[in-house]
Amino acid sequence: MSKRIWQHPDIPASEQGTEVWRSVGELENTPQFRTWMEREFPAGTAEMDEEEREMSRRNFVKLMGASSALAGLTLASCRRPEAYIVPYKQGPEWIIPGKPLFYATSMPRSEGAVPLVVTTHEGRPTKLEPNRTHPNGGGTDAFTQASVLDLYAPSRSRDILKNGEEASREEFVAAMTEVAKGSGKIGFVFGEDDSPTRARMVGELGTAFSEAKFYRYEPLAGEGRKKALDGAFGADGAEVVADFSKAQRILSLDADFASLDQQGEVGPFFKGRQGGGDDYSHEVAADKMNRLYVVETAFSMTGGLADHRLRATPSEIFRFAAEIAIRVNLKAQDAQLQKILADIDPLVYEKSAERDDTWKREWINACAEDLWDNKGQAMVLAGRRHSEGLHRLVTSLNFALEAYGDNKPLRPVKTGREGLGSIEALATDLESGAVETLILLTPANPVYDAPSDLRFGELLKKAKNSVHLGLRTDATAWASTWHVPAAHYLESWSDSRTAQGTYCLVQPMILPLFGGLSELELLSQLLAWKEAKAEEAAPALITGEDAEGGPSPAYLEVRKTVAAIAGEGEDAWKEALKNGFVADSAYKTIDLGAGIRLDEEKTAAAVAAALFLTPALIENLELSFATDGSVYDGRYIDNGWLQEAPDPISKICWDNAALVSPRTAKALGVYEQITQLQPESKIFGVENGPKPEIGEGRDANAPFITIKVGAQTLEIPVVVAFGHADNCITVSLGYGQGATDGRQGAPKLDKDKPTVGLVGRNTGFNAYPLRTSATSLFVTGVTTAGAGGKRYPMAFTQEHHAMYGRALAREISTNDVKHKSFEEQLANVRKQGMDSHAPDNISLYLPKGSSNFQKDEAKVENLISDKIHQWGMTIDLNTCMGCNACLVACQAENNIPIVGKEQVAMGREMHWIRMDRYFAAPKFERDGHGHVKKEKIDGKEVEKVAPEWVRDNPELIPQPVACVQCEAAPCETVCPVNATVHTEEGLNTMAYNRCIGTRYCANNCPYKARRFNFFDYNKRNPLIDHNLYKGPAGKKQVGEAPHLQRNPNVSVRMRGVMEKCTYCVQRLEGAKIKRKQVQRSKSLAAAGGSKSVDVSVEDLRVKTDSVKTACQDACPAEAISFGNLLDTNSRVFRAKYFNEKENGSWKPKPRNYDLLNYVGTIPRTSYLARVKNPNEKMPDAKYAGQATIHMT
Amino acid sequence: MANFFPRWTNLLPLKIAVCLAALGTAVVAGFAYYATPKAQRVGYQPSQPIPYDHELHVNQLGLDCRYCHSFVEHSGHANVPTANVCWNCHQHVAKGSPKLAALRSAMGVNEDHQELTGEAGEGHPIEWVRVHRAPDYVYFDHSAHVNRGVSCVSCHGNVNHMRVVWHDKSHSMGFCLDCHRAPENHLRPLEEVYNLDYIAEDYLKENKILDKDGNRITTQLDFGMHLKEHWNIRPKESCTTCHR
Repeated sequence: MSKRIWQHPDIPASEQGTEVWRSVGELENTPQFRTWMEREFPAGTAEMDEEEREMSRRNFVKLMGASSALAGLTLASCRRPEAYIVPYKQGPEWIIPGKPLFYATSMPRSEGAVPLVVTTHEGRPTKLEPNRTHPNGGGTDAFTQASVLDLYAPSRSRDILKNGEEASREEFVAAMTEVAKGSGKIGFVFGEDDSPTRARMVGELGTAFSEAKFYRYEPLAGEGRKKALDGAFGADGAEVVADFSKAQRILSLDADFASLDQQGEVGPFFKGRQGGGDDYSHEVAADKMNRLYVVETAFSMTGGLADHRLRATPSEIFRFAAEIAIRVNLKAQDAQLQKILADIDPLVYEKSAERDDTWKREWINACAEDLWDNKGQAMVLAGRRHSEGLHRLVTSLNFALEAYGDNKPLRPVKTGREGLGSIEALATDLESGAVETLILLTPANPVYDAPSDLRFGELLKKAKNSVHLGLRTDATAWASTWHVPAAHYLESWSDSRTAQGTYCLVQPMILPLFGGLSELELLSQLLAWKEAKAEEAAPALITGEDAEGGPSPAYLEVRKTVAAIAGEGEDAWKEALKNGFVADSAYKTIDLGAGIRLDEEKTAAAVAAALFLTPALIENLELSFATDGSVYDGRYIDNGWLQEAPDPISKICWDNAALVSPRTAKALGVYEQITQLQPESKIFGVENGPKPEIGEGRDANAPFITIKVGAQTLEIPVVVAFGHADNCITVSLGYGQGATDGRQGAPKLDKDKPTVGLVGRNTGFNAYPLRTSATSLFVTGVTTAGAGGKRYPMAFTQEHHAMYGRALAREISTNDVKHKSFEEQLANVRKQGMDSHAPDNISLYLPKGSSNFQKDEAKVENLISDKIHQWGMTIDLNTCMGCNACLVACQAENNIPIVGKEQVAMGREMHWIRMDRYFAAPKFERDGHGHVKKEKIDGKEVEKVAPEWVRDNPELIPQPVACVQCEAAPCETVCPVNATVHTEEGLNTMAYNRCIGTRYCANNCPYKARRFNFFDYNKRNPLIDHNLYKGPAGKKQVGEAPHLQRNPNVSVRMRGVMEKCTYCVQRLEGAKIKRKQVQRSKSLAAAGGSKSVDVSVEDLRVKTDSVKTACQDACPAEAISFGNLLDTNSRVFRAKYFNEKENGSWKPKPRNYDLLNYVGTIPRTSYLARVKNPNEKMPDAKYAGQATIHMT
Repeated sequence: MANFFPRWTNLLPLKIAVCLAALGTAVVAGFAYYATPKAQRVGYQPSQPIPYDHELHVNQLGLDCRYCHSFVEHSGHANVPTANVCWNCHQHVAKGSPKLAALRSAMGVNEDHQELTGEAGEGHPIEWVRVHRAPDYVYFDHSAHVNRGVSCVSCHGNVNHMRVVWHDKSHSMGFCLDCHRAPENHLRPLEEVYNLDYIAEDYLKENKILDKDGNRITTQLDFGMHLKEHWNIRPKESCTTCHR
């Protein structure tokens, strides 16, 4: 019997003309995609086939019979198991059993520390939240959210290793004492984060070891930028920090500044996107909204937000930078800037411009003009890993735009990262013998990720001694003489600075779980070992605390730094520790004084070089090395949450792949192979048997191609990436660290010396060998070849839980569209997708709420409706960039398991929030007003197809969807056991213990927001092959370290249970219970005691906006608002309603709309339409702001 | 054709049916009686590592519940005292008593209260046997109840008269719902929450409390209704109140 398919209304004629798709399968409308769309899960997902089943039905019944008979025999001796309560011997200060404690700390990162508040339950850190009291605290990204899992990772290193063999602490101390007392030719390699204590200790180490050398290294730091900035601002360790609150016009040249390439606090950027309406007290004002231009190779999350986006290969980006620099610098009329251009014949750049199509020239001209018109409020940002030349150009541009200075969009500052050499310098010093002992303290993994021309693995052997301090036993750990397990940042004392330079403390939440040593502990003990008297034994290794329980030496060092920054004394220290930061400690702005210090010659050379670049061709491709959204540079490869979080753009889980544009894929002859997802295929050369039934997710796979860069080759599956530059391939870095299946793109995993744990095993392909010092971001002259028809199984989530319906994500423009002004478009948001024809929904739970409910009060009273709290949420698509922070935060808060690649491929991922990502491109050409142009073909008038460059450059629209908590929930009516019911406060709840797993509810959910536990993912390790299918015989993972991360306030679900977003009900209940304390405090204050006290609704109501859901708290863009709809002061109320009544109900805000409004589910989560702020002079302006998503 | 079945078999199907029905009823009734929390939990009275006597400490010595269960007003979890709380008194009282061996071991001292060294000196925490155990999917919150006028006695019985604590009430979901549906049967002034011998009628004799119409309240039910209204008590019956 086939499922009844909802007849969605027609798309209004006025909204047609935009083509919308999620995946290449959808674009090509493959039968497989149709199946995904129409079923809750694809065929076969919900059943076990013979292969999966370890036991036949007959065997099962036999065994069950036998075991129940045996159970009967033993029932008499069956007793209630004794449980124990084991209180502390000495009650520790502050700990109240059952209540979490919160500590301020920060996560050191190369792009600036992330200030955090850590939730700890009885000493276990379980959840990280941004520290919103911090001057630079606002949101976190997925990496930060997931870092708490790293603390408990089973693959964490636990033993000191000497040449790969386990060694004792004493041996290590003896060896280090020898080093400390030796020649002193020690090389220290730090990460790129800025730690003031470490900077001070570098000085001390430099004094103690006169021959010592210091370096900094992380693979994605970008040497060119450093050189350009150091040169321009005349300071070692110079950095430019973006202040988006000052910027009205932003041009990003391949800089994913909102997410993976942060160049300053991003919160203000999103506030700027809201046009001054970020607290929803008023509507987006078009003139206050910032405008974002992005030129980039592959879609980034920043690119998705862009008002105007241009696809370009990395070398083209350099040329565009030069073109724009020329145009802006000419206008600047500055002597020095003019001089740069003087040597270049104007004919040359006119000629260069001629290479581009007219529309591209218009794009560049209009962009340059807009930047110039907003001089002083405009900035240009460039990708960190672009060349020195490009950064010099960008610096000259920003000078011309008067962007540098205090209270300007860009603040040049001097960081504490001075006197540190690069990895190239280290290579030279290792080669020459200037460094005999190498101490690697960087979070990077240089044997794996250093530029391949340095051959770091071989260089490392030249050092007499090498010490690697790391969380994992990665490739560098096994290659070094010594490997010492490192303490996680949640286990150690340290400090760091945010991008703006505010001093942050890093304090331990727990003693090192596996005896890890922190960086500062090693540095300070190295000094102690040097001082140790020869006749006495060197002091023992201290990790976390000393033998008497005294503090770690790192603590003492950090206190010294705080004393210097915040002032001496206990009070200053306690204040800093409590806050997690020291106020007013930001970097000082570099005084530009005499003006521009551009190196004219080098900048001019850069311009010239850029203009004469050869463009990429299909036989001469460019290969761009991208930062990975899941594993960053490879350091998070063993983090299951990040691996399973679908890549925000490509939606690939557990792997990376080569991304090419559809046009390039066609030119390379692989497009057919990609769209044809299920041929009779060979996977790793093995015949895959008969052709699988169409529509089975488990068989999704991608063809391999071989990428050739010089002598290096990489065999990697290829997928289509929309909005990608043509003649270019993007491969993200960090994957392929160890494989057992013999893939070419990853080293063979040595069982005795594993470089990755179970999580990172057999994931992805390693692109680092193709990358050299000179080609840190991209390499030219790349060719490809087929790979013998081999295919690779992939886990894509882009087609999973695919919704269909009208006007899912809505978009408007600040420009006039079809003669409709911004205000008119705004007023029309709620009518998009035929919503104006749907009857108004009647709320059952909000007597005077969202709709036209006008019954008399007496009848209202009969409804189960709480008068104190009615929860609601809005998600603002104007600021949501789709970065996965909410998804991972939800996973951390709600004990959501990972299910492994195989299970994800079948559509069984458990994430409560699904990050939908749509591409939308105009189908037809439009006139200046946005009307579809018509043309006559064979006498018939038909729509004129849009030019290729428009159709090839789709918009990207992310939309997070979790359970929207329908008031008239379709899931509730079909549950046979009342396991999903409504609360008085408007939540659609799941009672896990009632659920019998019929999955009717999921089948009936138009939002596809429900997730089913097909297996006991929490108890059985899904990462061991076939483990889940072994039932009780499978390997358990109970009691392993990751279980310490669990939130004790959320049930851990077992097999056969449905689950979904609960609006973090544990937090809501906690907040409500906290308010009940009011009664006690009132009673204590009242003369007549409690019997004379009255407790009002206001007393019991949770304070305005004081309770936040995990996703809302994590969001760096503050796109999610959540709160009490009965509280007219709450942010969510402001986002949804005006504070005025209309026909007895609150008047809705224009941008606020319900998802699938016409289905009549009355969801509590609503969405706010996206606003584009196009520049009307741009060639693509007439297409902007019309990408409303209709899915059919 | 011969008659295969003798005459007496005519009633056999009926007999079998009656027997099966009786058996079925017995199984259902037996299950309902023996396998529900009422039978399984009530009366559970394990022996503890220290035979702590609530009767002695509460009734005779007059300790408040909150002296030991100190966070009951603040946390969901009503904590069992840490060893150092016991030690506050017992470093002076009942020194050397064999009953307190587990406490001394926790504090790392010998019978003469001299500090031990080595591993013994670090002490071994006391392992109290759990009497009241809510299933892991139940998030009962003590503070939410005691701060709203529900006494310990409503769920735990008269612990102040228990020489050895036993499980007094069933704590089944029905038990919880009974009270959530009719809290007026249990509400009392906050000052009396930890007075386990409180009797509403006696309290109302001493305290003159008038209802809306100006009549003096004399019964628990009326008093409960009065408090419920003034304190805005509307206990929820939805799943998420206890299951998250």
